[in-house]
Amino acid sequence: MKSQANTNNKRTYTVALVLILISISIVLISLNTGSLQIAPLKVIQTLFGYGDYKSSLVLFEYRMPRILITMLGGIGLGISGAILQGLSRNPLADPGILGLHSGASFGLILFVTYFHSLDHHAAILIPLFTFLGGLLTAFIIILLAYDRIKGLLPIRLILTGIAVSAGFSAVTLFLSLRLDEETYTFASRWLVGNVWGRDWIHVMALFPWILILAPFAWSQSKSLNVLSLGDEVAAGLGISVQGQRLLLLATAVGLSCASVAMVGGIGFIGLVSPHLARRLVGPMYQNNLPVSGLIGMVILVLADTVGRSIFQPNAIPAGVIVAAIGAPYFLYLLIKSK
Amino acid sequence: MKKKLTILFSTMLLLLLSACGQTASNEAKSSKEQKAENKETRIASLSIHLTNDLLALGIKPIGSVVGGELKDFLPHVKDQLKDTKQLGPAKDPDMEALLELSPSVIYLDKEFGGQDVSKYEKIASTEVFNLDEGTWRDHLRSIGKLVNREQQAEKFIADYEKQTKEVRNLINNKLGEDSKVMAIRVTAKELRVFSTKRPMGPILFEDLGLKPANGIEDLESNQPYEVISQEVLPDFDAGAIFVVVNSDDDAQTAFKQLQESPIWKGLKAVKGNHVYVIPDQPWLDYSALGNKLAMDDAKEIFSK
Repeated sequence: MKSQANTNNKRTYTVALVLILISISIVLISLNTGSLQIAPLKVIQTLFGYGDYKSSLVLFEYRMPRILITMLGGIGLGISGAILQGLSRNPLADPGILGLHSGASFGLILFVTYFHSLDHHAAILIPLFTFLGGLLTAFIIILLAYDRIKGLLPIRLILTGIAVSAGFSAVTLFLSLRLDEETYTFASRWLVGNVWGRDWIHVMALFPWILILAPFAWSQSKSLNVLSLGDEVAAGLGISVQGQRLLLLATAVGLSCASVAMVGGIGFIGLVSPHLARRLVGPMYQNNLPVSGLIGMVILVLADTVGRSIFQPNAIPAGVIVAAIGAPYFLYLLIKSK
Repeated sequence: MKKKLTILFSTMLLLLLSACGQTASNEAKSSKEQKAENKETRIASLSIHLTNDLLALGIKPIGSVVGGELKDFLPHVKDQLKDTKQLGPAKDPDMEALLELSPSVIYLDKEFGGQDVSKYEKIASTEVFNLDEGTWRDHLRSIGKLVNREQQAEKFIADYEKQTKEVRNLINNKLGEDSKVMAIRVTAKELRVFSTKRPMGPILFEDLGLKPANGIEDLESNQPYEVISQEVLPDFDAGAIFVVVNSDDDAQTAFKQLQESPIWKGLKAVKGNHVYVIPDQPWLDYSALGNKLAMDDAKEIFSK
């Protein structure tokens, strides 16, 4: 038993190292991607502060914030998906299915429909609205799924999530029909997941969430392990089931709402990353939680880079690429494991 | 496990290859562009309307944003902008492409870039224009001052006024002195009526001196248009209607349906045969050149 755990830990380190190496190379490629061509050597020069004015402007003002946001967003979505799957004991759970995305979309549509006059502060108001939209849905879902006697039941959580999400999507669709074409295009690009936060202010807004919540989630991985055994066993093992569940749910909501606010309604990452992580490092959360985050990061940065580079000049939203790359791979895994 | 890693790595390799291939093609493009550079002031315009003001003065910007829906330069000036680098839509301009051009001055529309001036200042000195203030004549004059072509600006304006007078006579002959007019736009989703604001307001009601139909002046003057339902069309009681129909099929169908409706057939303008379908460009391009070309179009319509 112990040696099993040890090999799993070792494996986690190897996998994490490989993932970090992959993401470093993708980031380097990503830093090289854009309308202005900078030689790879110059990129590295500039990173260390020896670049000319133009290349440092491009790297530090235009490309770096966007890459950091995709990295942080990917981590947030990956970890949040892993938490939600553990909490609900359902491998299909992800922030999208729980209705958090549709809440965020609702927030966005509300903003572009009724608060268009505040357009000049859009850079910071859109994340705020989407974040609040996500929180609102989470609040409604928890309220509806909460049973006075039994507490928060995982299966009710998912079913309520699906129902609430359908409701919010309907309102979003209704409101979006009344938008003019240009705003509609912007909104629909956002809805499929277009990384649009590109300034340092967005990095600053997202960073604290990930910095605090991701390690916190990791520190709670033992209770996630126990919770995934089922309520009775967990209670028997001395866990305050309801308290922990609410706490972890709040963590997942915070992570995904903050990420979605910056990178758009990207689904799938939250679903796929934990699955891949489980296959790579096993079901223990102290191993697969950080790996989920890393996988989420790799997927999103890769998707955003591909979307920006191959299809120039009409960049494709990262969410589309995620689905296009992720879905077939995910299906392949499912078929193989049968 | 190994298999999975292989797949992951091959995806990466694919990406790397594609990134390399793309580099080569881009470099080829940019070297061509450098040959075409002009020696004059290197102006980058972040507004399609400012671009067309510049063209009216005979200046070709080295880079310009494109029309948001068209994803290209406006059709009536596309020929003149062959050597101009496309900088993406005004709402989300390609900053890297702009930087690559190293312009000596950037012209900015306050509506789109007003809050990001400091970003542009880092690239080159930036002139901000508020297109909602004054008419295109004022914008043209202030550009003329900046590029030392004040005389050309004055001449352009004088020519325009002269032509406008002609067209005004033509229209009066056809519609009668007291006829009231309105302009609408048919899109796939909705019917819009243009207010007195730019783009349609100034050219119809100020330049051509036409009388706005009932209720046009009461529309919210902050918006270029207001969405209306077909039922209220008769309330405007317009003697002539200018119609802009979007080019997509859905909008064309919507217009056909509108034309067949009894409400439409009962309109005063329809009965008097005073419905004029005009193209969206140049009519909706509120710039010096756009208005001039719209006036050419009007002349053609009403001299028939």
